[in-house]
Amino acid sequence: MTATGASEATARVVTRAAAGPAGRMLSGRPARIVGRIVTIAVILLWSLFPIYWAFDTSLSTLSGADSAPAHYFPSPLVGDSYRAMLGIGGAGNGISGQLGHSLLNSTIESGAAMVVTVVIAVFAAYAFARLQFRFKRTIFVSVLATLLLPAYATLIPLYRIMASLGLVNTYLAVVLVYVSGFLPLAIWILYNYFNSIPRELEEAAFVDGATPLRALLRVVIPVARPGIAAAAIIAFLMGWAQFLFPLILTTDLSTQPVTVIVAALNQQRVVPFTLLMACGVIAAAIPGILALVLNRYIIQGITAGSIK
Amino acid sequence: MLGASSRQRLLPYILISPLVVFIGALSFVPTADTTVEAFFRVMPLDPPTQFTGLDNFRALFSNSAILTSWINTAIYVAIGVVLSVVLGTVVALALRHRFRFRGVVLALVILPWALPAVVEAVIWSWIYNPTFGVLNSALHSLHLIGGYHLWLGLDRWLTILLIEIVQVWQITPLSALIILAALQSIPLDLYEAARVDGAGAISSFRRISLPLVRPAIAVATVEAVVLSLNIFDQVYILNGIAPLGSSVMLQTYVQTFEDLNFGGGYALSLLITLATALLSMAALALLYRRTEAA
Repeated sequence: MTATGASEATARVVTRAAAGPAGRMLSGRPARIVGRIVTIAVILLWSLFPIYWAFDTSLSTLSGADSAPAHYFPSPLVGDSYRAMLGIGGAGNGISGQLGHSLLNSTIESGAAMVVTVVIAVFAAYAFARLQFRFKRTIFVSVLATLLLPAYATLIPLYRIMASLGLVNTYLAVVLVYVSGFLPLAIWILYNYFNSIPRELEEAAFVDGATPLRALLRVVIPVARPGIAAAAIIAFLMGWAQFLFPLILTTDLSTQPVTVIVAALNQQRVVPFTLLMACGVIAAAIPGILALVLNRYIIQGITAGSIK
Repeated sequence: MLGASSRQRLLPYILISPLVVFIGALSFVPTADTTVEAFFRVMPLDPPTQFTGLDNFRALFSNSAILTSWINTAIYVAIGVVLSVVLGTVVALALRHRFRFRGVVLALVILPWALPAVVEAVIWSWIYNPTFGVLNSALHSLHLIGGYHLWLGLDRWLTILLIEIVQVWQITPLSALIILAALQSIPLDLYEAARVDGAGAISSFRRISLPLVRPAIAVATVEAVVLSLNIFDQVYILNGIAPLGSSVMLQTYVQTFEDLNFGGGYALSLLITLATALLSMAALALLYRRTEAA
């Protein structure tokens, strides 16, 4: 990471130098600049149009959304769908209760999975990055290998394990399964982050008589906060997006997350599309806002060690 | 009471034990269980469970819906890998140089990755809607189609392509970020040197960028292989359980949790797990050649 930082700094200097009269990067031929702007505009349109479309539909009346050709702006702009979801007006029909409860379930399940994943991963990744012990390499490689293990491999056994423990339709079952699924990536992110922290920091603590555990808690963890944030936000987003596992592990509204409820509403085919889009917007709001605000950590987490 | 030194020796084992317990009990044991039970008849509503050798596999190969789903999944993977890696490379190339609002653009570009696939599939099902969908409306007003089409459920290739596009929309940011990180780690003086030697844009892309981002493309490819082999949410929402666009993951779900034939589900899981391992390793071997900056 330090090496990358250094080369990035060099790159910045070089870019700035190249932007001078002889530079081609920024003050290049106009055709090139226009080409780049058009490319970026197309990329943004592709990335954002479906999201915009969900907003647009959720803010329209049913007859406005159902019209052909389509309206590219809400026509007329109304908040009926959202009012219905808050339980105001007749069209909500219990959707507000279902959605509210499932949002709470999603928050509890993803939040708990995030906390447990990060706590376990911080300690284990520190051991892998700094301490010596038997079978270290074997254990490390086996844990990371499960990154490539598809959900298929564990789906049915995990259901049967939870069923035999009487845990189906509990938060605990969902959280346990999430944690086992998210740990490998969290370990990988944190292992790479710890390796980017200079050892001198801890060595100074050792000289002062600190044990490795104390050095981890007092020196390494505070410095590693961005890496920990990256692992945490990615674990939370992965938890929020889960569908197949909660579909089989949860059976009613006491534990079903919002993805399962949105899929069920979609399947009923009686919920008007404007209302369904409003549900979708609400279900995507929390991860969407988190992603926009914390994108720095997400980018860092995704790229951490993806190139080694 | 343990001495300080033996406590220090035990520390690593204490630190990794929760991880080992979790991964052991909830990843390795289940995987082993799948491998074994694939050779057993497991019907929760119709015991007993007994060893039946290859019977589960034989049944899978004589089930036409499942055979179709294998071919469908191969199409999903082919489309998903090609589109997400190519689009990811394009996005990475467009965003590699600094410009104003680059941070904002990056934040917006990763948005589709962060949202739940189920919600995204519901949104796209509205876009693809035959009567009121914006796809029909837009193509019609551009005079690209004469009348409104039913997009999903008629033609196998079109159905799979449109469903996979929804997944590509979600996973392209992932490959873009991986490739972008690799592009940005290339020292710019390499390009400068190539320019002095008279290389044009295309030839420096081919001679410098491509070889140096090859490992990143390999990682992005493997991610796309695993994700598209596992495609479930988008198929479940946009295709239901109709065989036309069904994926292996969906058939595993149907076989296990709707037909309650757990043994068949195990066998199908084992086959697709092996396929995933083989395909990912092949992709890595093919693409992951260590290339040092000369």
